[in-house]
Amino acid sequence: MTNDGQEEPTAMVFEVLKAAIIDGSAARLGRMALAGRRSVDTPNYLAVTSRGVVPHMTPDNVGKHLHSAGVYMALEDFIERPQQYSKRPTPIYDTPTSQGRRPLHSFTAMPPEFMTVLGARRIPAVLSPMGNSNASISIFTSTGYQVLTTKEYQTAVETLRPDIAIPLADLTHGPITPTSKRALRMAERTDEWLKNWFAAEDASADELRQRDVAIFAPVLPVSYSIQWEYLERLSEDLSTRIAGLAVYDPDVLPDLLSDYANLAALPRLSVSAPTTPHHILRQISLGLDAFILPFVNLVSDAGIAMTFTFPPSPTATPSLLPLGVDLSSPSYKTSLAPPSPGCTCYACTAHHAAYIHHLLAAREMLGWTLLQTHNHAVVAAFFASVRAALAQGEVAFEDAARQFALRYEPEFPAGTGERPRARGYQFKGEAGGEVKPKLNKPAWGKLDGEDGGLGLTRVRAKKEVAPAVAVAAAAAVADKVVESAVEGGGRLETPPCPG
Amino acid sequence: MLARRMASTMSASSAALTFELVAKCSTTRARASIMTLPHGPVNLPLFMPVATQASLKGLTPEQLENTGCRLCLNNTYHLGLKPGQEVLDAVGGAHKFQGWNHNILTDSGGFQMVSLLKLATVTEEGVRFLSPHDGTPMLLTPEHSISLQNSIGSDIIMQLDDVLVTTSPDKERMREAMLRSVRWLDRCIAAHKNPDRQNLFCIIQGGLDLEMRRECCAEMVARDTPGIAVGGLSGGEAKDDFCRVVGACTQLLPELKPRYVMGIGYPEDLVVCVALGADMFDCVWPTRTARFGNAITKFGVLNLKREMYAADFGPIEKGCGCPCCRPVEEEGSMGITRAFVHHNAAKETVAAHLLTLHNVWYQLNLMREAREAIIGDRFPAFIRAFFSQLYPDRQSYPSWAVDALRTVGVDLIET
Repeated sequence: MTNDGQEEPTAMVFEVLKAAIIDGSAARLGRMALAGRRSVDTPNYLAVTSRGVVPHMTPDNVGKHLHSAGVYMALEDFIERPQQYSKRPTPIYDTPTSQGRRPLHSFTAMPPEFMTVLGARRIPAVLSPMGNSNASISIFTSTGYQVLTTKEYQTAVETLRPDIAIPLADLTHGPITPTSKRALRMAERTDEWLKNWFAAEDASADELRQRDVAIFAPVLPVSYSIQWEYLERLSEDLSTRIAGLAVYDPDVLPDLLSDYANLAALPRLSVSAPTTPHHILRQISLGLDAFILPFVNLVSDAGIAMTFTFPPSPTATPSLLPLGVDLSSPSYKTSLAPPSPGCTCYACTAHHAAYIHHLLAAREMLGWTLLQTHNHAVVAAFFASVRAALAQGEVAFEDAARQFALRYEPEFPAGTGERPRARGYQFKGEAGGEVKPKLNKPAWGKLDGEDGGLGLTRVRAKKEVAPAVAVAAAAAVADKVVESAVEGGGRLETPPCPG
Repeated sequence: MLARRMASTMSASSAALTFELVAKCSTTRARASIMTLPHGPVNLPLFMPVATQASLKGLTPEQLENTGCRLCLNNTYHLGLKPGQEVLDAVGGAHKFQGWNHNILTDSGGFQMVSLLKLATVTEEGVRFLSPHDGTPMLLTPEHSISLQNSIGSDIIMQLDDVLVTTSPDKERMREAMLRSVRWLDRCIAAHKNPDRQNLFCIIQGGLDLEMRRECCAEMVARDTPGIAVGGLSGGEAKDDFCRVVGACTQLLPELKPRYVMGIGYPEDLVVCVALGADMFDCVWPTRTARFGNAITKFGVLNLKREMYAADFGPIEKGCGCPCCRPVEEEGSMGITRAFVHHNAAKETVAAHLLTLHNVWYQLNLMREAREAIIGDRFPAFIRAFFSQLYPDRQSYPSWAVDALRTVGVDLIET
């Protein structure tokens, strides 16, 4: 921990190093600097945390092996109210601010070089049955749905002091495009909330952390024509108060940039959760600078080691290359090659595919730790190469992006291995939606339909017996497991194996 | 009194192991020594964390190395099932397989018999059991166990023994198991292909019957293996009985060989067993209990899932030197608080990894401190300090520990 002095509350500085001048590309190179943090060259990405941790990576491994610009955290991961202790103050708000560390950093033991971005909801967020109101949104904590008022959220931001905060936006999070009436209300509410946000900030003492937390104003996932009034307010009243844009729909950007030139200098953070490097390249072309990328964690959980590079290495094979390889595949059983040849990450230099294959097959947690280390390294290297191409000029970049699109498959492979044990809260049934199918086979069931003197035994061996019944029962069991985990009584472990 | 610091180094070597006795406690039977194995020296007494399936429960080999661990366990039974012997042969052994350049000890798969007994039948030939994968019958013989361990390439391999729960009332069966373990040791020695780079340890059996244990000691010591284990314990027997067996065995074992008490892991057990003259221990408890949200500290085990820790912003254990607890200004500190572990216990695996890191550090450090105390000849004082921190007063000291320590000249109650 290198920062022992008080962190000065200074403004975030973003400079555009090189902007596109050709038609059809708004890609640009930039640099983002925040007091006390590693300065970040853009385009770049942020890792997504769950409950304040990059899944499977302890903070020491984050410090050593993660090369993202920073991390994204969701307030809903920290403010659950367990039923037995519903009156208790939320622990994270009491985090001491020793050594000038910001409370959010301090609580989550995040290494100081990483910037933190705080939003209200996880990305992607679970759809809530309640919907939002005029002064609050509905969030999903580990103990259930909860109401988060605009006021509480602003207080949370002031208390936790992330480096960057995204104020509340009225979002539906559903798969269905909101009706135009709903879309209009989204824009109106978000406009109102952001106006009030800065009004409230003014009400507090002026010198107090005026720019302590950089505010990235949401740009909504609705058409430009519906939110133009809101965007106009950003441009006319708030352009000096906001430090960046949090873009939920990259396709709004071209119109926005052509109409509001004074917003163009702001960094643009993509919160639209692109799912592949192809989507990222398209958004870079549209002018996005930084990306919150939940897919990296999901790909690791699926047992996939990413193998793409930018620009793609020239090869003779006519077929498309995969974006990643499924290390659960038996072909890796004895492979002493690194998960991705040529990669210099810890997982690729210290270990080999056979080991990760074994760890996945044995469901050892280290498998996902190593995959996270590797996949985040691949994504970091991808962005570094994108920047290198942009430095040569946007023609070089657009060329390389075209080659990339032609060279690689559109999607990541699905992954045949079992996922890590789902902890429940992020997967529970969504409002209006059907129950999601379980990703994993149930770990335990009865031996031959009776308790054969052994208690529970693994059903894996006999899964061919009455599949329909087994699946139904398994779904019920899995739901119970999920619930007990949600209530804090869950355990990370299956019952002890012999030995 | 001065420690009986070894005036001229007392050491003994076999093909792949050198044992050097550094110091002996002048009161108890505790010893400090250095055991040099094919992958480097380790200081004894020592706790060995268990990386059952070639992975220490979420820690990278790099993290495990940073705890100071230089000898960890793999389970032959588990590695035999996954990844399997063919893969181990193809890859070139467990060190290469898991990226661990320090020492490995493997058990024989025999202990798994205790837990699988309902499915397993023991014959003179070996253990017959149903494969947990597909239910096919399998046979584990001493030859097969050694062959597997040869493929694993572990620095210390264990003989296959006939394990009974120590509490078994069937004395005849117990004696049969003990004698069979001796016969199986002979078969293991004969089957062992790499005595020049892998050390085969025998395992003393005999349940809770001290006479039977002594008989077994005599038989097995005569076979002159590089090291000796006391097995069949920690299967639910009374602690008094356990200590009596350990005490009886260590008295009969040669001084210049490492003594390994299998399956021991509670801090009190470690300290008492060291006083009784044992050198090496292993147990899954520290790492397993970590996954249940429990932190081992010198003041006892804390369940960090409890509500009282939700807003406790202190380190897991004040004064602990592990990467989680070290003061945040220090190099390599993560600045982990109890509140953060509480926040993620049973929710994100990272909380389990952090507690695993802390607990392994605690166990290794306990043995490091015991060793320093033995060398400085303050081990009895170390034992007293250890128990006084763990319990609120002397009346609450466990009687088995008090009694066992009395047999080696330390009285925890009278000072």
